[in-house]
Amino acid sequence: MYTDRLLIIFILGTYLLSPAIIEWWSEGGQAWYRPYLMWLLLIGLCYWIGKSRDFDGI
Amino acid sequence: MGFSLSQVFLIALGYLLFLFMVAWITDRGWLPARLVRHPAVYVFSLGVYASAWAVYGSIGYAYQYGYNFLAYFLGISGVFMLAPMVLSPILRLTTTHQLGSLADLLAFRYRSRLVGAMTALMMLIGMLPLLSQQIKAVAESIQLLTTEAEPTGVAFWFCVLVTLFAILFGARHATAREKHEGLVVAIAMESVIKLIAFASVTLLGLFGVFGGPAELGAWLEANPEALTRLYQPLQDGTWHSIILAFFVSAVVMPHMFHMAFTENLNPRALMTASWAVPLWLLVMALCIPVLLWVAAAAELVAPPDYYFLAVGSLSGPKGALLAFIAGLAGASGMLIVATLALSAMTLNHLVLPVRQSRPLDESLYRWLLWARRLLICAILALVYLFYTATGERHSLTELAVLSFVATLQFVPGLIGTLFWPGANRNGLFSGLVVGFTLWALTLLLPILTSGGYPSWLFELLDISRRSPAAQWHHVAMASVICNSLVFVLVSLFTRTSQAERNAADTCAVGSLRRPLRWELEATSADDFIAHLTEPLGPVTAAREVDMALRDLHLTRAETRPYALRRLRDQVETNLSGLLGPSVAHQIVDDHLPYKPQSEQESSEDIQFIETRLELYRHRLSGLAAELDSLRRFHRQTLLELPMGVISLGADGEIIGWNLAMEQLTGIGAERTIGARLTTLPRPWNPLLHNFANGDLSRDPQAELPEPDGPPRLLSLHKSQVLGALPGERTGGLVIVIEDVTDLHALEARVAHNERLASIGRLAAGVAHEIGNPVTAIACLAQNLDHEPDADDVRQAATQIVEQTRRISRIVESLITFSHSGGGNLEGIQGPISLHDTVAEAIGLLRLDPGRRSQAFANHCNPDHRVRGDSQRLLQVFVNLLANATDASPDDAPITVRSRLVDEGQSVEIEVEDRGHGIPTSLRDTLFEPFATSKPAGRGTGLGLALVYSIIEDHFGSLRVESPVADQRGTRFIITLPGFSDDT
Repeated sequence: MYTDRLLIIFILGTYLLSPAIIEWWSEGGQAWYRPYLMWLLLIGLCYWIGKSRDFDGI
Repeated sequence: MGFSLSQVFLIALGYLLFLFMVAWITDRGWLPARLVRHPAVYVFSLGVYASAWAVYGSIGYAYQYGYNFLAYFLGISGVFMLAPMVLSPILRLTTTHQLGSLADLLAFRYRSRLVGAMTALMMLIGMLPLLSQQIKAVAESIQLLTTEAEPTGVAFWFCVLVTLFAILFGARHATAREKHEGLVVAIAMESVIKLIAFASVTLLGLFGVFGGPAELGAWLEANPEALTRLYQPLQDGTWHSIILAFFVSAVVMPHMFHMAFTENLNPRALMTASWAVPLWLLVMALCIPVLLWVAAAAELVAPPDYYFLAVGSLSGPKGALLAFIAGLAGASGMLIVATLALSAMTLNHLVLPVRQSRPLDESLYRWLLWARRLLICAILALVYLFYTATGERHSLTELAVLSFVATLQFVPGLIGTLFWPGANRNGLFSGLVVGFTLWALTLLLPILTSGGYPSWLFELLDISRRSPAAQWHHVAMASVICNSLVFVLVSLFTRTSQAERNAADTCAVGSLRRPLRWELEATSADDFIAHLTEPLGPVTAAREVDMALRDLHLTRAETRPYALRRLRDQVETNLSGLLGPSVAHQIVDDHLPYKPQSEQESSEDIQFIETRLELYRHRLSGLAAELDSLRRFHRQTLLELPMGVISLGADGEIIGWNLAMEQLTGIGAERTIGARLTTLPRPWNPLLHNFANGDLSRDPQAELPEPDGPPRLLSLHKSQVLGALPGERTGGLVIVIEDVTDLHALEARVAHNERLASIGRLAAGVAHEIGNPVTAIACLAQNLDHEPDADDVRQAATQIVEQTRRISRIVESLITFSHSGGGNLEGIQGPISLHDTVAEAIGLLRLDPGRRSQAFANHCNPDHRVRGDSQRLLQVFVNLLANATDASPDDAPITVRSRLVDEGQSVEIEVEDRGHGIPTSLRDTLFEPFATSKPAGRGTGLGLALVYSIIEDHFGSLRVESPVADQRGTRFIITLPGFSDDT
């Protein structure tokens, strides 16, 4: 539960900081694929976390 | 676009038949299980999220709201990226308790039929717009393809087709309890087709219109307004509310809930889904701006919602067909799964609770099957009616957001389920009513009617009355905030029932359920069947109980209270899968009740808590993991203790049975845990039961009859288990058992050897003692030759007899001493005069020439008597007095005195000398074997150990004080139970 709480705070923080992300994204101009790159980076991170962690969901 | 209606209809029918074949082949087991349960199948089955709105409507949405369209894809990606935190706990709950839908989950958590019914009803109403949107998308796409059909008629026949396939796919079994592997594989196949078709149409458009990505870049440079249209809406500050709405509502949508949790065939696949589902959605989302630019560059005249179909048509009939198939796949998959999920939900929460007033009988399974089929027809009929009432006038986006905001209302309840055990049903109910009312007044009503909705509410929420759906994110935030506030406040200020609190503990993440050990009225598995026959009928009752027994690996012979409690939980879980949690809980509560008892009388089900801790051990981290390691260490210590340990609950249930007990009794822990002492086989049952309920806290020599041989001797101890707080009692009992048969035999041998050693030491004295009378006899015998007088001869003979008697006494005394004891405590009851026993011991010691001159003072009161074995007590005094003489100078007196203590119940005997005392180094180990202060060869070191053992066997105590006075002397104080005539 301790880890979960930390994660919640992290997510909430990211959510509140998102105007800065949106600003960066909307200044992309021709680089319209910026949000997709960010998204792909997150997917990579999830893949790496999933690989290094023994899943214990159930 | 060159297709006739019949052609398109046949294509749709062919596609659905192909899907049905895939499902049928899977259900027949023709596909290998490894493939069916492969994580990729699960990942693609979750592609059901990309409904017709993702294929058609999201492009229209991107046209209107720019990059905000990404929220639809990013929201659900976020949920899956956080799968271990958000989805795993839900999957654990739905799998463990067989909860098939969100209504099941909320009804289970909030222990309320009303909550279940309300969730089912609101979900049904809330999903109607999204379902009708699928019909609309297919009907309008057919209209665009054929340019002749009237959409309402097409929509009707599409509904009929989907109804048929929904029944064929998902309502061939009676219950939602069985997984529909065929359905999962078919939906996964559909997602693959959808993805391939979507990407292919995009690539065809990209290369057909622009010629390639480089040319697209050049076109964008030449037409910067195309990019500005995408970026511009991001600045209006609605991104936050939009992404939040899509983030949370994605999980509670019935079709997503059904595929992610109810139909999950492999829980581990969730971890793959955490990155693979976002990747799948990324590919879909990447196509959307490209399709928009293709449509713009080709100057297409179609409505933006159907740009995808128009882009496909640019490449000819094959491209159009590909686009149509992608839309059909999205619509049919979502419609089938959502209808199945909604039918199960309405059946469990709206129909069965009404039906339950009549007894359920053998036809239950058949009845359930037909009820589900009828409900599927009814739901799709409703969807069609909603479409005809509204669909034609509103865009795909308007209908989609209506459903998204409706399902958003369940999110506070779901968060409460997972993270807030303080939430209660009153809070959920009130929150849902408030949120749903706001939704209905501000979004549903304007779509259903052309006027008559409350204008003050629109002003309050700052929504334009002309197009409320365009400002849906305002409504979403306002309704969900009001809903959450009411939910929290009402939960805080109203009472939560105990049942609800227990369920909350079961559901909350990080909270360990602490079940109480209540006793059931049913005492066997057969009793269960008898009790359940009334509501379920004999056949169903027997089938359900047998299934639960099989799930738990138990047999019908089971009678252990612990196992019966687990059986009750399993029956409820299985019935929950069949009839929903509300009805299942009601049936089990009514027909398998616990015996009435107060909460204080019941204690926690330690065994169950331990089992769960073992199961979830790998989920513990940090301090919790450390504590668990400590718990396991202590548990292991107890388990492997070389003495038998039984732990009993307040109600006499066995909650601990260690390995030594298993070896001692030959009965495994799996047979005893959760049972009572009275159910143990003989001879353990009477022995342990009597001891546990008796007054004695220890029984050093309990006899255990052996069928073929002498009885075994066991040393039994028991102690009340204290709670964590001082003076708190949990009512539990711990019994420690040691097999002392061998030890006892060894002790007897040691005692015998010690006696023989004493005799050896006495031998010289004996020789001297016997030598005197023998010399006297010899003199008298010699004198007889010279005694003519008969009187003198008679006198000499008398003296000889007297001398021989003296010898006999000495010999008898020795023989008695050497044969005494042997560990038999049969004589323990006898009244022993302490004075006489001490006198006899002194007499024996005086036989030793080295001790003859020692001064002994026997001040024992001749009236003080104790219960015990005279010979073993004689040994005690011989040993103590011998030690005292060894330590004392000849002229120092050794005193033995007695006095009554404990109001005459016990006698205290002091053996005191004025010797050199006991060295400090020996004091702690004085009563242990081989502890001696004497030089080598003089003492065995067993004497005091033997004394201690004998006194303990007499229920007495022994302590020592040294020095007594002037840094000299030792005093042994023995306390023994006194003997009175009435004992």
